[in-house]
Amino acid sequence: MSCPPEAYVAALAGFRNMSVHRLSALLRHHAPEEAWAVVLGEQPTSGLVAQVLAKAEIRASWRRCATERPPEQVWQRCLDLGLTVVPLGDPRFPAGLVNDRLPPPVLFARGDLALLAGRRVAIVGTRNATSGGRETARRLGHGLAAAGVHVISGLARGIDGWAHRGALAAANAFDACTADGRGRPIGIVASGHDVIYPREHADLWTAVGEVGLLLSEAPPGTAPEAHRFPLRNRIVAALAEVVVVVESRERGGSLITAGEAVDRSIPVMAVPGPVDRRSSAGTNRLICDGATPALAVDDVLIALSYQHGRSAVVAADLRPRPRGSDLAVYRVVAEDARTIDGVALALGLSLVDAAMCLARLESTGWIAQADGWFESVGSPFR
Amino acid sequence: MLAAVRSATVFGVEGRPVTVEVHVSTGLPGFLIVGLPDEACRESRDRVRAAILSSGLVWPSAKIIVNLAPSSQRKGGSGLDLAIAVGFLAANGQVPVETVESLGFIAELGLDGSLRAVAGVAPMVAAMPDSTSVVALASFREAQGVAGDRVRVAGTLREVVDALNAEAPWPSPPEGEFVDDEPQLPDLADVRGQPLARLGLEVAAAGGHHLLLVGPPGSGKTMLARRMTGLLPALTPEISLAATMVHSAAGVRLPSGGMVRRPPFRAPHHSSSMVALVGGGSVGLRPGEISLAHGGVLFLDELGEFAPAVLDGLRQPLEEGVIRLARARASAALPAKFLLVAATNPCPCGGGPPGACECDEVARLRYLRRLSGPLLDRFDLRVGVARTTVDDLLATGGGEATSIVGARVAAARAKAIERIGTLNANISPARLDELAPLHADARKRLRDELERDSLTGRGYHRIRRVARTIADLCDGGDLVLDEHVVLALSLRVKLSVSSRERVA
Repeated sequence: MSCPPEAYVAALAGFRNMSVHRLSALLRHHAPEEAWAVVLGEQPTSGLVAQVLAKAEIRASWRRCATERPPEQVWQRCLDLGLTVVPLGDPRFPAGLVNDRLPPPVLFARGDLALLAGRRVAIVGTRNATSGGRETARRLGHGLAAAGVHVISGLARGIDGWAHRGALAAANAFDACTADGRGRPIGIVASGHDVIYPREHADLWTAVGEVGLLLSEAPPGTAPEAHRFPLRNRIVAALAEVVVVVESRERGGSLITAGEAVDRSIPVMAVPGPVDRRSSAGTNRLICDGATPALAVDDVLIALSYQHGRSAVVAADLRPRPRGSDLAVYRVVAEDARTIDGVALALGLSLVDAAMCLARLESTGWIAQADGWFESVGSPFR
Repeated sequence: MLAAVRSATVFGVEGRPVTVEVHVSTGLPGFLIVGLPDEACRESRDRVRAAILSSGLVWPSAKIIVNLAPSSQRKGGSGLDLAIAVGFLAANGQVPVETVESLGFIAELGLDGSLRAVAGVAPMVAAMPDSTSVVALASFREAQGVAGDRVRVAGTLREVVDALNAEAPWPSPPEGEFVDDEPQLPDLADVRGQPLARLGLEVAAAGGHHLLLVGPPGSGKTMLARRMTGLLPALTPEISLAATMVHSAAGVRLPSGGMVRRPPFRAPHHSSSMVALVGGGSVGLRPGEISLAHGGVLFLDELGEFAPAVLDGLRQPLEEGVIRLARARASAALPAKFLLVAATNPCPCGGGPPGACECDEVARLRYLRRLSGPLLDRFDLRVGVARTTVDDLLATGGGEATSIVGARVAAARAKAIERIGTLNANISPARLDELAPLHADARKRLRDELERDSLTGRGYHRIRRVARTIADLCDGGDLVLDEHVVLALSLRVKLSVSSRERVA
């Protein structure tokens, strides 16, 4: 047997019914190889682990897991995927998690772990984002990365994905020699590194691992089970210095992340939205409850007390300013999302004129269309 | 003791002549029908006997054999009842054989000797061009529409026999010339607001473009679709005849004038089966909803709820305007040239303004995927319909009436037909540059759209056809202007499938 101790930890983490609590207790009292023997019943133990092992079905299930996925095999899989296995106690283990209330017993990492020593902001939000919300997330991610702040997110659909797309664009926009000062994306995922979820984020998943850092608490092969996502959220919160919620409904995973941040005394910021929109219900509630409103990249940087050398203002807005009737149409759309009918009726324009104005605004990038609705794009974060 | 009488059966939308041969001879008494009759046809034996006895005629104790020629072809339905009865009476000498020779008989018999209407009278009459047809009173208009004055009617078998024996004249056809009892179509003036959707209807009617209405429940998709037929011009004589044949063959009630003159509107429910939609059935290949919509509008509400196989069945008729049904023993081509209008929600919850949707992205994708693919490609127009707000309802009066919009539609259609001999929806991509030349601004806009990947190659051709129609409606010249293209683009709502968006 030529397995390092990490291999045993990695294999144990993949057991069925192996919760964070159980694995932590196991590794608190036993060295990894010893823990393996304990699980197989070859060595006595005490406390929580003994209680758990007293249950016949768990004993049987763990034995089965041990034969199905022995440490050598799990270790080989980690090596194949180019993963770094970092158990709690390893010097490379993220400092922000060492003293956490519920530190992950082991982390699987792809990419540059040193990024966790830099400045970090988490951007989270709903999976069902409006196009305005997506644009906000993208600009926020881009602006923070351009200012040298790493962007942590969960790689979920919607806001998470767009925050990382923005950060990637900023990180990739400069060549290797100047890119050092740029922030990178840090993705925290709930499944194993080889189980990409959601599938449509496969490109993003790879890109984040290559340019930034991709972290998971679960060993390769772990499915994205529902209970893993709230656990993932605690890592997102614990690793961030500030958590920004871009868009959230009255309930949702991003509010769990915000709650985890509050429990850890990490500042929470929220992007406000119209009071009658469901897509902003959660973020507005956060602001009511004391979260700081985030209106621009600078607000987040100030919350970080961040003295950034380069200007966070990405670049001058090159979009030609709308004028005349276009401006009137833009104002109406900026007020609230509208259909062509809505614009025509609000301004008393003919359908042709309304369509022409909207087409001009869309082609210059001031508004975006989805399902026949037009929304203004990104004035807060330009 | 032999007589031959002409009649017909219906197959698909075609009538097929049938000769009913009756042989009456001495022997063991019995009544036998041969020549592949179906169940309803075989039962006519009992109806015919009862009708003859109730009419005070003689039923001898003899061996009676009825042959339906051509014998190798299956025959269905009860329309041969009268022919069998008259054939028997002729063979038995109760009516003169020579008087029945120039006549064709199409009616079902009641046990009391009354004549009843059957489905498919129009195509059956048309299948006997050299005969004068005898039909039930209720079938008169239908038969007259096809055969003109070569029609005789009768209320009972007794009346038929008296007329054949020259004891009484043929009963006169029902009185009252052509009462237009078709219900008034709903008018576009009832629709408040919704200028974009109204434009969509107008363009669809003018260019023959298939139309998909996308919007939340309660936004008026069905209300709009029902106003579509009012915008279409009355049917041309050929199409009117074809539509009448289909309606008759399917047994759908015809207007009292006997001919389908207005574009039909068919709205089958989304639980409809494939056979109900495209046609079929064991004996006669009954025309389906798409054939009944020939010349008019087929409206599919809740498009995503139709079984995928049923929707796929629409693709070939949409391309060819005809549905070819083939069975082991026979095949038929039924007309199916219709304007497809469909309605769907943008997502399972119905959607609405951005942020209102409560579906997660997977459910949304799955829902849109049911619609996507080849069928979605057939729609030139994809119009977003939003719920009208109270402000809109109060602020705007009713819109233009159907008659005003209909006049514009008729003018645009005439223009297109003068230019290319068909509607704009049928312009082939190769002839677009010649028939729908673009102004420089319009060309640039389309190039931008293509470069931004918001328009596919196929979408590009569709936009150009629709823009051509809009230019015709706006009374523009031969050149398609930028504003026409912009409106055409507005009539093609983007269905957001955000997962397709790539990494920045």
